[in-house]
Amino acid sequence: MKNQPQQQQKKEAKTVELKKIMPETTQKEIDTLNPTLKAASEQIIAQTLERLKKINPNRPKEMEYFDEMANLFGKRVEELKQAQAEGKKIIGYNCIFAPLELILAADAIPVRINSGWYDTSKLGDRVVPVEVCSIIRSTIGAKMVELSPFLELSDVLITVLTCDGMTKLSEILGEYKQVWGLSNPRIKDSEQALKFWNEEIKQIKTNLEKLTGNKITVKNLKPAILKTQKATKAFRRLQNLRKDDTVISGQDALLVTQTYMWDDIDRWTEKTNVLCDELDRRVQAKEWICPSDTPRVMITGTPMFWPDNWKLPSLIEEGNPRGILVADELCSSERLLYDPVGIDEWTMNDMLNAIGERYLMACTCPCFTSKDGNEDRINWLLTKIKDHKIQGVIYYVTRGCMLYAMEYTTVKRALDKINIPVYYLDTDYTREDTGQLKTRVEAFLEMLNAQIDI
Amino acid sequence: MTTSTIGFDIGTQTIKVIILNNKTRQVVARTQAFAGFDPAQALKTAVEQALKTANLTQTDITTFATTGSNLETYPYPVITVSTMSALTKAGTHFFPQAHTIIEVGAEEARAVKCDDRGLMVDFVVNERCAAGAGAFIEAMARALEVKMEDMGPLSLEAERASSINAACVIFGESDVVSLIHKQEPKSEIARAVYDAMADRVSAMVHRLGVNPQVVLVGGVAKDVGFIASLKRKLGVEVFIPEFSEYAGALGAALIGLTKSGGNKN
Repeated sequence: MKNQPQQQQKKEAKTVELKKIMPETTQKEIDTLNPTLKAASEQIIAQTLERLKKINPNRPKEMEYFDEMANLFGKRVEELKQAQAEGKKIIGYNCIFAPLELILAADAIPVRINSGWYDTSKLGDRVVPVEVCSIIRSTIGAKMVELSPFLELSDVLITVLTCDGMTKLSEILGEYKQVWGLSNPRIKDSEQALKFWNEEIKQIKTNLEKLTGNKITVKNLKPAILKTQKATKAFRRLQNLRKDDTVISGQDALLVTQTYMWDDIDRWTEKTNVLCDELDRRVQAKEWICPSDTPRVMITGTPMFWPDNWKLPSLIEEGNPRGILVADELCSSERLLYDPVGIDEWTMNDMLNAIGERYLMACTCPCFTSKDGNEDRINWLLTKIKDHKIQGVIYYVTRGCMLYAMEYTTVKRALDKINIPVYYLDTDYTREDTGQLKTRVEAFLEMLNAQIDI
Repeated sequence: MTTSTIGFDIGTQTIKVIILNNKTRQVVARTQAFAGFDPAQALKTAVEQALKTANLTQTDITTFATTGSNLETYPYPVITVSTMSALTKAGTHFFPQAHTIIEVGAEEARAVKCDDRGLMVDFVVNERCAAGAGAFIEAMARALEVKMEDMGPLSLEAERASSINAACVIFGESDVVSLIHKQEPKSEIARAVYDAMADRVSAMVHRLGVNPQVVLVGGVAKDVGFIASLKRKLGVEVFIPEFSEYAGALGAALIGLTKSGGNKN
């Protein structure tokens, strides 16, 4: 605590005058490309939602809310603008390490800013080489043409330095937005690591207080923690409905968890509970979404972002043969929500430590290692496989995503031991390889089918 | 009248068609056609030719099964079989002891691992670049000014191989050009081309484990240069069936026949 003012000074000194547009583009180009890409994206969002309705005529009625929230240029953007006009701060974040509870306690609004747009990754190629991970390139491209309302509206970005891509993305975006770099240790199980991390969290707290002018106290932090705890509870309720014969498609469940990244958390929790009520009734009525011998698939790997990067879930659930996605281990979905902040005593110190622990210790990101490798992730995968009765795992990696690519070998070995087939599927932010991927996903599902038949 | 099944494999360069007798499960005809710009028409022509060879008419055919790249529409009512399943079926049909089946085609290389029951348990497909596939040989033959069918025998004349990088067809070609400038013997460059390809394919197979028997099929399985390099890299005997390029079509036909129950006739 003692050296905090010094740290603060150091970070403040970094603040430089921010540029408006990237040198790799011109205002004129932004003026043409922005509306074109926005219109194309709105069309894709509408088409995907139409398809989800078509493939499942008996789709839960309560999905309607999430369909509306899925419009990245819709209602939520207006709400954020309104809140901002009323003086609220919007905090963009690139990674689930960003402590949402502190943001909420400071009466600011968290939104995740990672881009799922394919087209903007091509624009990002002007700034960084094509070998760089597509999420990074696409996020850079989105900034270039100001496509992402969430990124544009952010007053500050919390950029977590998990992988090389995110670290350098932080620098690149830092020229246009104020960024608070949040550095995470790579080894969790040491006292120094947790101590270091807790200091980082406290720094974010100080930064937030300064930006918003709202002091974070027991009085506002407790309800913030309760808020995310409730969200976690609703999410787990949805998860429990996917552990056996299921009444919701994987794509719908994925859409629900994705919207958490930008929706109002209280409302999201309420709507998720309402959806679960409907799903509970369907379980009672045994209105299963697919025959019980449909192969049960889990996805793990690089995060997947709405709206464009939806090809894998749709190939799994709409191909021939069909599979059912019943779980994932993605930081853009289930990892986002599973763990609550566990509090012993509602004191400031305890709460801050609990937040620190929740974000560091519970995380299964491949940026971590230990003497037994990233054992938390392996154990978590094995638990999920058991709980959700998974029959096959698709290990999805976007090119340039080194951490996930390299951790495949360890995951494969662990899953081989328990005889769970796992398929490594690498792709990029492009639509053109869908045919190729279809062949692979279908072969994998055929393989699972053949094993189920026996 | 004996009924038959037709299997076809829509490849990136050629379409392969075979006719299988439902009862004997023997291949009674096979044809191939250049896929070109109108693959549906090419398919029709190839099927008609195969029927003519087998002295059959379309009414004798109980089942059509297809594999490879999917067409939007087919001129026949088809059962679709995934390339990997077709490959497994064909490989174990030829060699019941097969545990690793590799297919190297014009633009794709793939491999499956199967268990003792002949069931696929794992598979890999080459990464996006064609450096591990037949198109690589074609491009390199062009650079060496050698006919593609002469590349294999030429490479066997070499006592050692030059070294090239097979990360990508285009860069591989520029490697070959610099070897030409260094006046390295053609045969050694040719062998380097196969070694580089076999490196890529064997790295892929190693991800599944090299489980004998290893079977090689696909258009490139006819190339003596590639076979020699692959055997060296894998360190095991590689089994190659007759008409290896028809493996996909045969696998599709066999699976289609089982699925449709046509073998009861």
